[in-house]
Amino acid sequence: MKIEVEPLARVEGEGGIEVEIEGDQVREVKFNLFEGPRFFESFIRGMHYEKVPDVMRRICAICTCAHSMASIKAVEDALGVKVSRQTELLRDLLIHGEMVESHALHVFALALPDFLGFPSVVHMAQKYPREVKGALQLKKAGNLVHNILTGREVHGMNERVGGFATIPSEKDLERIKEAMQLTREFALLSVKLFSSFELPEAPRSENTFIALDPGKRFGYFGERHVASDGESWDVHDYRKYIKETTVKHSRAKHSSYKGKPFMVGALARIRLFGERLEGEAKELFKQHKDKLDYQNSLSNNLAQALELVHSVDRCISDVEELLSLGLKKEEPVEVKPKAGTGTASVEAPRGILIHSYKFDAKGRVVWADVITPTAMNAANVDKDFRVAAPKLVKNPKELERTLEMIARAYDPCISCATHLVRIKRI
Amino acid sequence: MKPKVGIFGFTGCAGDQLMILNLEDELLELVGALDLKSFTMASSAVEDSEYDVAFVEGSITTPKQKQKLEEIRKKAKLLVAIGDCAAWGGVQASCNGILKVEEKMREVYGAPDVWEIYESKPLSAYVKVDFVLPGCPIEKEEFLRAAASLLRGDLPEAVDYPVCVECKLRENGCLMLEGKLCLGPLTVGGCKARCPSLGVDCIGCRGVIEGEARVKSALQVFKEAGFKLDYVRARLRMFAANYPEILEVKG
Repeated sequence: MKIEVEPLARVEGEGGIEVEIEGDQVREVKFNLFEGPRFFESFIRGMHYEKVPDVMRRICAICTCAHSMASIKAVEDALGVKVSRQTELLRDLLIHGEMVESHALHVFALALPDFLGFPSVVHMAQKYPREVKGALQLKKAGNLVHNILTGREVHGMNERVGGFATIPSEKDLERIKEAMQLTREFALLSVKLFSSFELPEAPRSENTFIALDPGKRFGYFGERHVASDGESWDVHDYRKYIKETTVKHSRAKHSSYKGKPFMVGALARIRLFGERLEGEAKELFKQHKDKLDYQNSLSNNLAQALELVHSVDRCISDVEELLSLGLKKEEPVEVKPKAGTGTASVEAPRGILIHSYKFDAKGRVVWADVITPTAMNAANVDKDFRVAAPKLVKNPKELERTLEMIARAYDPCISCATHLVRIKRI
Repeated sequence: MKPKVGIFGFTGCAGDQLMILNLEDELLELVGALDLKSFTMASSAVEDSEYDVAFVEGSITTPKQKQKLEEIRKKAKLLVAIGDCAAWGGVQASCNGILKVEEKMREVYGAPDVWEIYESKPLSAYVKVDFVLPGCPIEKEEFLRAAASLLRGDLPEAVDYPVCVECKLRENGCLMLEGKLCLGPLTVGGCKARCPSLGVDCIGCRGVIEGEARVKSALQVFKEAGFKLDYVRARLRMFAANYPEILEVKG
């Protein structure tokens, strides 16, 4: 017997799950990413540094700002660019806004239908119209941050190497604050919902987590990766710790840390840095500690809900800080091209994202390397499948449903995962 | 009877489908007005069906995708390409004619023949496309307007003027005069000159105005403004590498 779930619905991109069963034994389980590869690292060569983020942010739509930020910061790292405090704050607002948009979409529209037994959020809307409309407004509040800071919801252009082309007005920032305040209750609702669900036990197994150390305050920028076994390293050294291999069944390469799969994303961030959450998110984290099962990857949804509360509040506090400092109409920092290598890592909604480039003296790309969170998680998804499948083999319907839920809990962004790191550079 | 609609995605970033989901205020009403047969990014309810309109995002890069696209074409009365990947092959086409697929695969995956992969091509390389909604990503209001026309059985009105028209309407100064290489003159309008209005030069994400763009004269203008041809070519190829005149730009 062979079970195929293809295409896997409610994920971004084309993916599928394949389970081969012989008698009542599971012979093979594979999480397939079969979207056509796009070879970003290859075709970006020769591109002038200034335009690199414009192309690289198109790796993904749903985490377009994370790609934009990782790309811009890697260029700045290579060319020795230091940005202003105002730029840093605007970038922080942007990345928290993206978390609100992406998590609201995933938690309510893509994951929640599984738990409530609906095929989609639209079907769900008939029974829960207020909740669905509220969740869409929360998502819209996140998108408002994109619109105001980058120029549009997807693939903005206002965020540049060295800063922002145009600084938003105070009134625009006030609009963000207001939108977040108005929809905040739906972030709280997501915590209430996902802390009340009983998770399927089937995938329970050991998880190793890796996340970006955010410094004193919980957030999505940082300079060091931290693993749950206590090890940490400067992001520039990522190649020593995160190894990649090509696997035939997936166009995303598989990543390993010390020879084993690992998990990145909301659950990893909450596991490693949950104590640094602020305000009500921190209270809720303490309150629901027992509900967060770090050995069950499906807990990722509750971790996302906690981050949703944190990020909504952080957008509000970032706006307040920007307004109290007074907005300056500053231009992006002037940049002089030079030869060099730069690396940056950002927490995308799905986990750590790494961009690394090498430039020639004229500032043109000669080498590029991108590792996306979905690619890092791919081997861990396979691990969860291998653990869960034998337990459910007698009930194919339940097996299919649980494996889909596992894959979806990771919030896989398959279009990102298909253009990955090269192993060798000749 | 509600019109039967399918929304599909091939090689790309799923940004055009996401723009549909970004219609937060209109989404529930919109899908309520449709008989949505397939939209796997948002729903696991998929029915095999004929479609009054099929919206297709992404470029075609695998044999399986080509086959699936042909199936969609057979079942759809109208097939609409949404986004730059479906319209022109997307950014992943920017090396077409320069770098072979096998070479890219060797570099990224370690061997030239891990899978059978095609050079990134637009949908029109394989099937008849009835209408194109350009953009990387599409403009959501443009999508709504087009969807309304299509569902009434009319083809929407295509934009046939450059970004410069909208830039002038917004009374922006010309960025070329500030020494920036702006692709506005060759690029399909409809974005309300969003980038130049922020002071950022147009990167051509809505693709070239088919049949109307004067590529050769624009190249001359860019050259006279002091831009090196290899830089200009890289910029033009970003979103329109499969446009014949741009594919031919050497240097």
